[in-house]
Amino acid sequence: MAGLERLKRRLVSEVVRENVETLHGLPFRPLPPSRTRRVRLGLLRGLSLVAAPTLLFLAVSALSTDRAERAGIAPRAALSGPTTLPAPRAISPAAFPLAVRKIVVDPGHGGTDPGAPASGGLWEKDITLDVAQRLRMLLGEAGFDVVMTRERDETVSLRERAQLANFQRGDLFVSIHFNSLPTRSYRGIETYHLGPTADPQVERLAGAENRASGYSLADFRRLLEGVYVHVRQTESKQLAEAVHQGLVETLVKGNPAIRDSGVKPAPFLVLVATEMPGILAEVSYLSNDEDARLLKDPAYRQEIARALFQGIRAYADARSRPGGQGSV
Amino acid sequence: MTKKNEALRVGIDLGTSRSSISASSGARHVVESYVGWPVDTVARKVVKKSILFGREALDNRSMLELHRPLERGLIKEGSEKDEAAVRELLRHLISLVGGADDSRVFAVVGVPAEALRVSRQHLRNAVKGIADALMIVSEPFAVAYGMDALLHTMIVDIGAGTTDFCVMNGRYPTEDEQRTLTHAGDWLDEQLATMVRTRQPDAQFSIHMVREWKERWGFVGEPKGPVVVTVQVAGKPTPLDITAEMRRACEALLPPIAETMLDLLARVEPEYQERVRNNVILAGGGSQIPGLGDALEKMLLDVGGGKVRTVDDPVFAGSNGSLALALDASDADWEQLPS
Repeated sequence: MAGLERLKRRLVSEVVRENVETLHGLPFRPLPPSRTRRVRLGLLRGLSLVAAPTLLFLAVSALSTDRAERAGIAPRAALSGPTTLPAPRAISPAAFPLAVRKIVVDPGHGGTDPGAPASGGLWEKDITLDVAQRLRMLLGEAGFDVVMTRERDETVSLRERAQLANFQRGDLFVSIHFNSLPTRSYRGIETYHLGPTADPQVERLAGAENRASGYSLADFRRLLEGVYVHVRQTESKQLAEAVHQGLVETLVKGNPAIRDSGVKPAPFLVLVATEMPGILAEVSYLSNDEDARLLKDPAYRQEIARALFQGIRAYADARSRPGGQGSV
Repeated sequence: MTKKNEALRVGIDLGTSRSSISASSGARHVVESYVGWPVDTVARKVVKKSILFGREALDNRSMLELHRPLERGLIKEGSEKDEAAVRELLRHLISLVGGADDSRVFAVVGVPAEALRVSRQHLRNAVKGIADALMIVSEPFAVAYGMDALLHTMIVDIGAGTTDFCVMNGRYPTEDEQRTLTHAGDWLDEQLATMVRTRQPDAQFSIHMVREWKERWGFVGEPKGPVVVTVQVAGKPTPLDITAEMRRACEALLPPIAETMLDLLARVEPEYQERVRNNVILAGGGSQIPGLGDALEKMLLDVGGGKVRTVDDPVFAGSNGSLALALDASDADWEQLPS
């Protein structure tokens, strides 16, 4: 009886401590920071959120090293001379031959964030939602569970999109966007996966898409600590390749002038914050009059949805094969 | 320093479908988690109130902007109305147990485990000011605390929006010891609605009717009798036997729940796994589905058997647990937690 009372007292103290930490804006049950982490986080505080994702991979690597040190595992560089411990190795995604069941479809923008404008009163938010709804139908008919981050014209922050995807335990995250450039003649299809970039144009695009994220720096630190970067990056790249191939093969038929701009890594926050393989497809350019004209046609939007669907299905089929690694 | 008896202490279960409150005064209330505002001045004249709650809001929904906070187990960020709905619902619950403006109120609010995991700060901000001091805890933990089931126990709290799992190992549960599924009451309703529509495409019924059918006649295993409901077909009330659909929909909950239970069990220290298997507690509205506990016990036979019991008071198990926490927290604890 006295033991139970002691246990309850301890539990109450824990609950109070957690609530006090939340009240003061502290992250969830933080580990005691080592000196190196304190220094690194001090540097992070000096960065804007838009620039911060670019540091994701360096930070995660360093944090992983911290963790390994705390766990008593020497990093690869420190292993010298004979040892019985193997050096840490990246885990192959092939170790996880799991089926793809639930797909989170994210129609970009919405509500007070209309996205890119096009000629004739067309907005990016309307087209992304229409294509997403068409994609949902195709995925549903094929037996996938589909979760939409928005079902109508409403404002949904990047943070909320990621939260919903994580909460719903999605297997894949597919974000649909349409690009826009001052150079109106440019036409192309780009598919992005999580990764660092040295391309200033991609950085600018990520900066634009990462606006109004709803994340604070404290949240971002938690994201850095929570990301399982290698497996997610590899899987995301393979998903991006499969979807991109589907988009290019399908859309070139009806739109021969469209350019294959390739699969690229980029630090989009919505891909950083989601805990599953994810991609962001910039399907074509609303700033181009011909693309904008085509995008007004429901049949063309259906083609885009079908192309996205074919890419997702190709990835899922490859993933569920014995020893499948998502390569398509 | 506040004297313990000066403040009303309350435990609240903020649920997707129903929210309940238990107070240190002995008062207890439950309301359906609906909040509605009249859509215009005409509606306001008809309903004669500026805000409606629970069943009253549901019954007058055609005239209201109706909100069900925590619809998907989370408070929707960016929606001021949803945040306002949570606050108004909590205020309403507190007013029901006599928490007047001039008395101090210390509240412990239990929320779905996942809501706490992913939007802890947001939740705290959303419920700011509803009490003089406030603690937020995960719902399955509150249930475990209220039942003194703190050691080698698994709580499975089947709500409307989420099914929450929590293994109690004599400490405050870590993220690894908790799980949340969206396979829960609302999901079951959707399954049942789809099955009935497939069977009778011209049948007209609402999701609210489906929810009532489930609550009244849901079952796993063998039915006590045929489940016959009345639907509208071309404007004519028509009886429809949905016994098979009801069974299939309710039994669809079993695989994800069993899979999650086994996953959590596998993470328990080997020497304690048998004790946890024999200490599974079902809570929440879904725990009331006849035959569910027996079916889960059968599934546990594959891993050496176990015991599944249902809480005695599913409506108030969560709020009673939160109240127990509210009473056990000292004045010094509460002083650290202004709302």
